[in-house]
Amino acid sequence: MPEPMIRLNRLTQSFDGVTAVDALSMDIAEGEIFGFLGHNGAGKTTTIQMLTTLARPASGTATVAGHDICSEPLEVRRRIGYVPENVRLYDTLTAAENLIFFARLSGVADPKRRVAEVLDLLECTYLADKRVGGFSKGMRQRVGLAQAILHQPAVLFLDEPTSGLDPMGIKMLRDLVMRLNTEFGMTIFMNTHLISEIAKTCTSIAVLSHGKLVYHDRIEAVTARYGDDAALEELYLSLTPVGRLAEVA
Amino acid sequence: MSDAALNSIRLNPTPVRTIAGKDIRDALRDRFILIVTAFLGLAALVALVTGAIALRSDVATYEAAKASLLALGKSADAIKAPEFYPLRLLRGAIEQIEIIGAAIAILIGYRSAASERGRQTLALMLTRPMRRWQFVAGKALAGIGLLAGGLALVLGGLTLLLHLMSGIGLGMDDLLRIAIVWAVAVAYTACFFLVSFILSLHMKQPSHALLVAFAIWLTLVLVAPQIGDTLDPDNQVAGGVFKQLNIAKPDQIQIMKGFATFETVRDGIEQASVTKHFERFTFAVLGIKATYAGMPLGPILIEMLGNLIWIFLTALGLGALALALPLNPDRLAKA
Repeated sequence: MPEPMIRLNRLTQSFDGVTAVDALSMDIAEGEIFGFLGHNGAGKTTTIQMLTTLARPASGTATVAGHDICSEPLEVRRRIGYVPENVRLYDTLTAAENLIFFARLSGVADPKRRVAEVLDLLECTYLADKRVGGFSKGMRQRVGLAQAILHQPAVLFLDEPTSGLDPMGIKMLRDLVMRLNTEFGMTIFMNTHLISEIAKTCTSIAVLSHGKLVYHDRIEAVTARYGDDAALEELYLSLTPVGRLAEVA
Repeated sequence: MSDAALNSIRLNPTPVRTIAGKDIRDALRDRFILIVTAFLGLAALVALVTGAIALRSDVATYEAAKASLLALGKSADAIKAPEFYPLRLLRGAIEQIEIIGAAIAILIGYRSAASERGRQTLALMLTRPMRRWQFVAGKALAGIGLLAGGLALVLGGLTLLLHLMSGIGLGMDDLLRIAIVWAVAVAYTACFFLVSFILSLHMKQPSHALLVAFAIWLTLVLVAPQIGDTLDPDNQVAGGVFKQLNIAKPDQIQIMKGFATFETVRDGIEQASVTKHFERFTFAVLGIKATYAGMPLGPILIEMLGNLIWIFLTALGLGALALALPLNPDRLAKA
């Protein structure tokens, strides 16, 4: 059996005595589009911060692309791309200047050529010479995604990528994510609130509640059991405290 | 990721240069940096012009007195011609660098750290294959580079003006002195940049860090040197107590022995301020302090070596601290 692209083994994080992520264990296979669901404060972003080496776990271990996040952070960073929620970039620089900067930091051999390729891939070459300060949310998100794939990462982490986007922007992002997965074989790890996006995009999902993993399965298993998007929403609501509160109300 | 794709990626050997280059480009397009540099230049220019006007007034007074004496058929030897050391006109500019330059350095340090927090660009940088210290070194290099450039513009402009205004021009020795003062001014302002940068990077709220940095600026730049000056027993009467009372040097020493503890504390307060070291050094090198006017550069540098070491050790110590402190990602994501 091949080694999973991402493996979490009792990964734990706490802040000021409060456990944000509680002994999280799961495997995500290569080529998956993984949807990570959970209410606000469930610990999704904290999990991404640990997997992207931004934060050290309090205990437990994890590997990304076969490398330990604590003992081999540089090797992990070489193989990941990260798009935070509401990425803003540098307003005074153009999209191309922003991307060339991040390409250089990633060690891309020919930054200018690669930036042109990625802008072309994301169909936003027209943004290249415009300053990011005047961009809409959708444009920023597109450039944000571009900076994350400049170095052809094996794993792409997206933290609430559709937050604040209009329906057109959401569709555009969904199409891009699916292209990156199918054409370039990138494994996608996506935090989201949007159930509809999970059903349309993901190959497997997990639900986090108060730092604990309450559900993890392949999307086929979920849809086979519940049938459609609405059922997926019911699943999420039934598994999280927010959902249980909504039922009581 | 395929082996071919991975091979096309090399561990960037120069992230420090890349970050510094980006920061400088970003700052040069930011009106704030241009405005504060122009403000320092204007303040220094006003100080220079004010000094020149005062000197011109002294010369006019001397010329008038000389003309009166000569008209009365008396010798003009009785009155002393005002001494003209063109570099002394930089006194006001040095004081502006001491106060406003340090404040601008604090603002640049705050901006350098706070601008990355909140907009999450820091998270994008720290998920790249580079060490954390390289990020700090790149930011610090850019900040200090901006200060060096701004000070070079200000001092360069004033030097040119001085050359044109003084009539006698500036020699190589004068230019060397100004270059030394520039280098020390960069180290001096770097201290304040680093204090502000470290606080803004590590404190929970960058806005609180700015307040703390300005409290430190107030203490080091305005309070400590003033305490040192105003508590000096000899400064209690204009022109000096001992001079006004015609007390001979041996007697002065004898009297001051009675104030030994007081003097140790007073001098300690003064010595604790990097501003006082900067002032002592620059005033000596530029001949602003009368004792050093006309004195060759070599002996001045030897005498002021302690001040020079203090300034550079403070800057280097703060730089080492900035590199050594571990970054807290939880803090970095918050504005």
